[in-house]
Amino acid sequence: MTSSHEQPEQPERLKLSDRAVASLPLSSGRAELLEEIMSTPVLDHRDPTPAPSARPRAQRWLVPAAAAAVVVGLVGVPVWLATDDPSREGAGDAGRPSGVAGDPSSGPEQVSGYRAVLDAPGWTVTYVQEEPPYGGEMSYSNGEQSLDIHWRPGKTYDTYVEDRSDNGPGEEIEVLGKPGMVWAYSANDHTMIREPDLGHLLEVRGSGMDRAAYLDLLGQLRLVDDAGFQAALPEEFVTDAERGAEIQAILDGIAETTYPLFPPGADTVVTSSEPDRYHLGADVSGAVACAWLAEFTAAHAAGNERRMDNASDALIPSREWPILLEMDEQGDWSEVIWEYADEVAAGRVPEGFESGLGCRS
Amino acid sequence: MSDISGGRDEAFRALYAAHFDAVLGFALRRVDRPEDAADVASDTFLVAWRRLAHVPDGDETRPWLYGVARRVLANHRRGEGRRHALGSRLRRELAVAVPDASGEVVQRADVTAAMRRLSARDQEVLELHLWEGLEPREIADVIGATTVVVRPRLSRARARLRDLLGEDPEPPRNDPGRTGHLPSDHPELTRKER
Repeated sequence: MTSSHEQPEQPERLKLSDRAVASLPLSSGRAELLEEIMSTPVLDHRDPTPAPSARPRAQRWLVPAAAAAVVVGLVGVPVWLATDDPSREGAGDAGRPSGVAGDPSSGPEQVSGYRAVLDAPGWTVTYVQEEPPYGGEMSYSNGEQSLDIHWRPGKTYDTYVEDRSDNGPGEEIEVLGKPGMVWAYSANDHTMIREPDLGHLLEVRGSGMDRAAYLDLLGQLRLVDDAGFQAALPEEFVTDAERGAEIQAILDGIAETTYPLFPPGADTVVTSSEPDRYHLGADVSGAVACAWLAEFTAAHAAGNERRMDNASDALIPSREWPILLEMDEQGDWSEVIWEYADEVAAGRVPEGFESGLGCRS
Repeated sequence: MSDISGGRDEAFRALYAAHFDAVLGFALRRVDRPEDAADVASDTFLVAWRRLAHVPDGDETRPWLYGVARRVLANHRRGEGRRHALGSRLRRELAVAVPDASGEVVQRADVTAAMRRLSARDQEVLELHLWEGLEPREIADVIGATTVVVRPRLSRARARLRDLLGEDPEPPRNDPGRTGHLPSDHPELTRKER
């Protein structure tokens, strides 16, 4: 098979709609394929049970820990305070301490040591992702070796054990005080699933090392609660406790050239629970840009040139917003805001900016 | 995936019936030879069959299947797919049926030609938006990115296409009853692209 992108000289095929596909005379092939597939062996024989989405593996990281909203009050006078954000799934889940940005002492820290971290010389964190209530993942590497630690809802334990048993019967071991099973994908690639504890299973996969080295690393794992997990994050992550100050700093940077930060009467709430600075920056700069773009749109519709000028004056300096300059190396976010600013400077309402930035309607 | 009618087989039959046309359409719109779409659909549903417990429910099912089909397609393009002989009849039927098809299309040939002048990553988000009618959050699910990455990428890609065409193509109403958009409170993966 070849890609149409690789062979542009190929005659263009019709891009049939799903409806047109449904009307193709394929009933025999369609039915036969179904029976063929269902005659193949399955890995999870049990009746389907709710399970976490099998999402594509991420290339980078994230850790949405406890949710927080930062409220910027009073036009041009940024003041933030923290509150729970109910729109975030998993916020305040049982067993998941809902630490609040800027106020880590707002409630008693519940110890829920279902995550594990690795304390071993030479090993560094390469990837972190957590998506309540589906669980999370933390990856480490040491040269060509890697160790991936997953924590998942305990109810998925049977499914995962059955899946891994496709590699043969597992060998029973004890990990962090609980029974577990080890399977070998190859001589240098092993995985272990630990029985659920505190509502979560742990799976740890080690690649690029033999069995003895793998078992040795398992012995160096440490269970952590929410605070311990955050403490184990590399320096570049924004923890719950740091997030409020980070947002304030980003807003201060924007306010150096765009003041006031928000147009009169605008919704001045900035919501973010992001530990990744790029995504945090998108949340904050997006809130400011969306507010001014909405103001320009309204002013344009009303034919109010003074308000249009104010909005334009607020957005044109976006090319100097420190956070956008920082983010420009990492993705398209900054460029899009700048393109919208150019449109506004030319007196036009940028098409589709709400979708482009995910502005709240 | 939830047990729809009391058994694994029934659940898979329901999944297959609900999404076969969409998955096959996804593949057909991206391969040069229509029969190759049979391989993509076959491998995609084989993954779903083997991993049925991991297939998300409801509105998330379709983007999940597209995400699998996308990776299957990439494997096929690298010559790594097709290690089984499933779907041979479907291959034969597609080879005959598609060249004769004159059915509804998701976009005009000139739009497709213009899209080819864009970068591969611009093309991909535009295809998912214009061909499958997916919104940024769903596209993010399919390609394993985040909405913070996808939204601006789609916005810029649309602007570039608009510049080339002098108009802004809209996504089709492609199977509107079943495409389904993800709920707004769906948890996001947050991830930079490089």
